[in-house]
Amino acid sequence: MSHEAALHAHESHGHDDHGHHEHHDTFLTKYVFSQDHKMIAKQFLITGMVWAVLGGLMSVLFRLQLGYPEASFPWLESILGKWAKGGQITPEAYYALVTTHGTVLVFFVLTAGLSGTFANFLIPLQIGARDMASPFMNMLSYWFFFAASIVMLSSMFVETGPFSGGWTAYPPLSALGDASPGSKTGMDLWIIAMALFVVSSLLGGLNYIATILNMRTKGMSMTRLPLTIWALFFTAVLGVLSFPVLLSGFILLIFDRNFGTSFYLSDIYVNGVGALSNEGGSAILFQHLFWFLGHPEVYIILLPAMGMVSEIMSVNSRKPIFGYMAMLGSLFAIAVLAFLVWAHHMFVTGLNPFLGSVFVLLTLLIAVPSAIKVFNWLTTLWRGNIRFTPAMLFAIGFVSLFISGGLTGIWLGNAALDIHLHDSYFVIAHFHIVMGVASMFGMFAGVYHWFPKMYGRYLNNSLGYMHFWVTLAGAYLIFWPMHYEGLAGMPRRYYDFSIWESFKQFAELNRFISTVAMIVFAVQILFLLNFFYSIFKGRKVTTLNPWQANTLEWTTPINPGHGNWPGEIPEVHRWPYDYGKDGVDFTPQTTPVGEHESSH
Amino acid sequence: MSNHDTHDHAEHHGDPIAEIKKVTIILSVLTIIELILGFWMIGITGESMRLAIKGVIVILMMAKAFYIVAYFMHLKHELKNLIMTIVVPLLLFVWFITAFLSDGGSYKNLRNNYDPHFKAQSTIKVEKKEHGEAAEGEHEAKEGEKEAKPAETK
Amino acid sequence: MSTTTTASTKEVKWWGGGKSPFNVEYGKVMMWYFLMSDAFTFGAFLIAYGTVRFSTNGWPNPNEVFKSYPFASEGVNAPLVFVSIMTFILIISSVTMVLAVHAGKMMDKKGVVRNMILTIIGGIAFLSCQAWEWNHLHHEGAWWGMNPFLNADGTQSSTNFTNFFFTITGFHGFHVFSGVVINIIMLIMTLLDKFEQRGHYLMIEKAGLYWHFVDLVWVFVFTCFYLL
Repeated sequence: MSHEAALHAHESHGHDDHGHHEHHDTFLTKYVFSQDHKMIAKQFLITGMVWAVLGGLMSVLFRLQLGYPEASFPWLESILGKWAKGGQITPEAYYALVTTHGTVLVFFVLTAGLSGTFANFLIPLQIGARDMASPFMNMLSYWFFFAASIVMLSSMFVETGPFSGGWTAYPPLSALGDASPGSKTGMDLWIIAMALFVVSSLLGGLNYIATILNMRTKGMSMTRLPLTIWALFFTAVLGVLSFPVLLSGFILLIFDRNFGTSFYLSDIYVNGVGALSNEGGSAILFQHLFWFLGHPEVYIILLPAMGMVSEIMSVNSRKPIFGYMAMLGSLFAIAVLAFLVWAHHMFVTGLNPFLGSVFVLLTLLIAVPSAIKVFNWLTTLWRGNIRFTPAMLFAIGFVSLFISGGLTGIWLGNAALDIHLHDSYFVIAHFHIVMGVASMFGMFAGVYHWFPKMYGRYLNNSLGYMHFWVTLAGAYLIFWPMHYEGLAGMPRRYYDFSIWESFKQFAELNRFISTVAMIVFAVQILFLLNFFYSIFKGRKVTTLNPWQANTLEWTTPINPGHGNWPGEIPEVHRWPYDYGKDGVDFTPQTTPVGEHESSH
Repeated sequence: MSNHDTHDHAEHHGDPIAEIKKVTIILSVLTIIELILGFWMIGITGESMRLAIKGVIVILMMAKAFYIVAYFMHLKHELKNLIMTIVVPLLLFVWFITAFLSDGGSYKNLRNNYDPHFKAQSTIKVEKKEHGEAAEGEHEAKEGEKEAKPAETK
Repeated sequence: MSTTTTASTKEVKWWGGGKSPFNVEYGKVMMWYFLMSDAFTFGAFLIAYGTVRFSTNGWPNPNEVFKSYPFASEGVNAPLVFVSIMTFILIISSVTMVLAVHAGKMMDKKGVVRNMILTIIGGIAFLSCQAWEWNHLHHEGAWWGMNPFLNADGTQSSTNFTNFFFTITGFHGFHVFSGVVINIIMLIMTLLDKFEQRGHYLMIEKAGLYWHFVDLVWVFVFTCFYLL
């Protein structure tokens, strides 16, 4: 038997396997240790939602401290115990909350929750595959994420509290056990959780790449892929190439913590102890290694949202996406640039200023593909027959936030301006708008849009509109004022601003921001209620293709089983954006090209 | 998933055993050249000459890597599509290495200029022992251990 | 990006969907990309090592550190000898791995078994050499956080020389170890006729990719620590 025959024997064998799966599912294999990509996606989504609620709650707690530094809330002490003595959050608890909020939101919600959910759900459905290339590895990917979640969660209950040195885990706070209360056990658990998370994202990412490349159905050439898939593809590539660097950085950090090395420790003098004997390393090295992941990570968070927004916008404006190839090119450019700009997070750390200026140039280059994307979204909307579904509103909201947050990125990308703005509330405003809230909006858009495919029911629209408008207004009301605070020099990661004369003027504003934050958090609870109510009691989907969309997932049954298509996998004949072509509202990808059809 | 129009690209190249033999010999020769250069470098003290030899060694290293990836890992005989998706992302290493090393060099300059302790440390010569004498070498090691011990207890 | 549609070779539309654009099964695609990501893990280690070395004034001379070999008399001064033996062991084990993969393609079970056994022996021999070297250095007082060696110019050296040496060679050794374990599993599966039943030895190819990668990493580690 030749190699060639073996190759195909192997592949077709794999496919027969999928077809037979649904016959012998028990509760455990169907809902818990499921190898069905759709179930794994839901597991990612719901775990991500749990983390989003926890992370959001943490932000409400520390906003409470920032808004009402003098007030005392006895109920806080009954919840947090010694972390809120006298009803006031202690400085240690404040830092722990800020750190965990950042870690959880960046990695567990916006990485695992976002691309974990939608890569798993959409890739096989939209490229026309029965499942992921390796369903088993896909399941492992979720369970590594679950294990990471458990470890991270348990770090919050140890005696000395969770790690509190910021989500970036810079040494020496992360390297020396005595540096802060959370630097001992809390940090150990933090590193373990993150290591498990890296394994999970590698298992997932390799699977996404192999699936997109190898498992596309007949006719689904790369340029016929929906932009969602392209975005998820680049996301997976970014993850596979950058997470290992973080892993290396963490391994060196573990040695510094436990085995007396000094990779990241230069000359350190500790009060009462004297000079540390481990010296000769460089804390900047850790920052380089961290941000070599950290910057691509920003795009790991952002790209899936961009992809989904492109798809949702095209469907709901009943128009082809404007500039498909330009969208692809800009995704590619962003993915490449993501790897070249990491040190713009480090302009004031003692980075070589000349090197810094090279990083400024590369950073500002990102504005070009970003602008291309924004213009293409706007021109997609232009003269479209727009349907303002909640998903569409969130997609438009994403573009708005991406513009607002992206523009301040141009300020921060300048090394000279960054000397004034770094580590201030300006930075907080920038990254929360451009990657935090914007990606959240992309995620919401995706959930509203694909909920009918996930659960066979609709989400409640009125609640969706309320959710959208309050969240959009809230996002701007919370983060817009922070720009001014940052310009005025208000530094981030401070426990209490009321003791500085110069920041007293912001007390009123801080209270306002905290109040809005609480309202926005309450509205997210509304969304959760909508979500879980609709899973069981929502209006049932009665048509295969509720949004009149072209992509393949809408050719599956309303509640697709494991294997997605009961019969043959459909063949693809066209790109996914034939809306309004030749006077036809929409032409699914499975429709063969007609004889007299114009070419796009 | 079956397609009959694909051709057997894998078996196109000549005798695989002959190729394996050829690559083995090339790898061995490259390694031996590296070792010869390494031995030669022991006696050389001129900084620029040492750098030049190191440059040659790095080039030989890349050549060895090429032969392992291209022939042992069979990449050369894969489709061009696969080759490109592997090789192109590896180009990221260019900037990865350049930026890291140049910032490392910059950190050295910063420390030499602004960190007197560091500067002093790197100029004080520790009393050097003669090489090749067993007892002395042993002694040197012991001393190093003693010096390192306090680090542990802290 | 327009190259994606035109990058087909001959008349075959590799990217057209319904087949692998690389004409390989997904497992091999995954293995390649896994190795690429692992290359970034090792790359990060070696680049971190380079960065620290670039930011330090002096550095020990490897020829004065790695100058002994097993069963040598005490004061032997034989730089590069032992490590070149290790290098050749790994290269030869890579060659036997290629031969095993080739035998697999020919469906020659006996050839696969013979070459896999040789590869495993090579791997274990390499690990033994490394164990001896670690032990020897440890006896000289070198370990994580302990560096008995002086800089080439006679000044006090920072512990980062040994820190990086033990971390990176240790991580590489861990890869060799897992490679040996994988190869043993492959050998057992071959002996149990698993691959004969499947009709192909593709698993051996994937294990081979991993094993060659370990050899590849050693090329870099060897150069960076022992030669430069």
